[in-house]
Amino acid sequence: MIYLKDIQKSFNQQPVLKGINLKIGKGEVVTILGPSGSGKTTLLRCLNFLEKPDEGIVQVGDIQVKSKKATKREILSLRRQSAMVFQHYNLFAHKTVLENVMEGLIVTKKYKKAEAKRESELLLEKVGLGDKHNYFPSQLSGGQQQRVGIARALALNPEVILFDEPTSALDPELVGEVLSVIKAIAQEGITMVIVTHEMSFAKEVSDRVLFMDGGVIVEEGSPLEIFNAPKEERTRQFLNRISRDFSVSFLEERAN
Amino acid sequence: MTIDILFIWTAFKEIIKALPITLILTILPLLAGFIIGLAVALIRIYKVKFLCRVANGYVSFFRGTPIIMHIMLIYFGFPLLIDQISTKFDLGIQSNSIPIILFVLTALSLSAGAYLSEIFRSGIISVSNGQMEAAYSVGMNSFQAMTRIVLPQAIAQSIPNFTNIFIGFLHTSSIAFIVSQKEMTGAANIVASTNLKFLESFIAAGLIYWGLTIIAEGLSFLIEKKATAYNRGGVQ
Ligand SMILES: Nc1ncnc2c1ncn2[C@@H]1O[C@H](COP(=O)(O)OP(=O)(O)O)[C@@H](O)[C@H]1O
Ligand SMILES: [Mg+2]
Repeated sequence: MIYLKDIQKSFNQQPVLKGINLKIGKGEVVTILGPSGSGKTTLLRCLNFLEKPDEGIVQVGDIQVKSKKATKREILSLRRQSAMVFQHYNLFAHKTVLENVMEGLIVTKKYKKAEAKRESELLLEKVGLGDKHNYFPSQLSGGQQQRVGIARALALNPEVILFDEPTSALDPELVGEVLSVIKAIAQEGITMVIVTHEMSFAKEVSDRVLFMDGGVIVEEGSPLEIFNAPKEERTRQFLNRISRDFSVSFLEERAN
Repeated sequence: MTIDILFIWTAFKEIIKALPITLILTILPLLAGFIIGLAVALIRIYKVKFLCRVANGYVSFFRGTPIIMHIMLIYFGFPLLIDQISTKFDLGIQSNSIPIILFVLTALSLSAGAYLSEIFRSGIISVSNGQMEAAYSVGMNSFQAMTRIVLPQAIAQSIPNFTNIFIGFLHTSSIAFIVSQKEMTGAANIVASTNLKFLESFIAAGLIYWGLTIIAEGLSFLIEKKATAYNRGGVQ
């Protein structure tokens, strides 16, 4: 389904991914945890070649691409296997909510306009934005924009949806609405790879959790294994730090 | 010397007859320049090998020299070139049978292309990278991402810049009168010298240019407001 072999990537001679091997099965929900700068975003972007790996093999669905010999045509077919939900939403700024969702259907799926519209309306209903069709992204809250981003990704009916910290640009009170939409689609059996710092969400939604640090996958396992009995010291430290930060900010909020 | 206010109106009516030529000398070069400018901007942004150097040289030269120079160079240079090519290949074309306005249009188009390419370039660069990436992530190829996502935003944001270029070229078209094109400034000159009423004639011409500029600014404002409505935020 997804298969990565020895993915390496450097920026300015600085290695950021140091040989990532990974298999993800159909319908699996995998979350990636790890400190900032550990290469999570880069790994996700290598999956759809927004970043071209220096080395290694990327396979999504039936499309396998050898990084070094990747042609434009191969990259395009690889990209059409996946969809991405971005940290900063990246909605098409000049298109309405409805058009944002329709765009992929029309351009890459070759839907007729009326068909694309019908399909998109259903998806917007599903993410709770049935009443916002003609709004522009700039007229929506962050949470609403991100839900459009999710509908746009769902519309493509991809083999996998890649989420890069989908809630980390949101005001705290808007995080919940986005996470609950993601949870709902996770239950539909869509394959998902999610980079997140929302620990309780990761616990709840994942079939498997990866912990990355320094450009490698340090540890992986079920949420139970990773959160309750991490084997690696680095994982333990990271989880401790996160939960401490969480309780501190929680206490601060109570105090205010 | 006294000023003959009534003659301003007489001159106005005479000069405005040359408006079509002025508009032709403004709009055609801008249309051609739009295509040249877009192509040059894309070549420079994508750093297309070899062509990129040509494009850099072209923009540097045409922005680095006065437009009147381009008209002169082409007006005097092209006939030589055409006649030589024509005798060499026995084409039977004579440069003096080519209407002068074509030389002027060529020169102005090349200038417009250079100026507009910089506007396209900054417009395209100002669209955030995330837009292109989102387009790729939904499976678009580079051409689709550029034409459907990036360019519409780049062009909408650049409307005030396009308007400045339009106004600049509207005024610049007046220098075509040095190679005897009867556009509005040329017409004003004729009206002035035949009636020996210079001030009145040029006041009339000035008023027409000013009026056209105000109309262009007004239209631009309306178009920009509509084209960038997506960017203004706030709930509907
Ligand atoms: N386009 C880029 N150019 C240069 N360095 C980059 C680029 N993208 C990421 N990096 C570097 O790679 C490292 C990993 O980044 P990233 O994958 O974004 O980490 P994470 O998402 O885990 O925070 C960081 O040190 C970052 O500065
Ligand atoms: Mg990141």
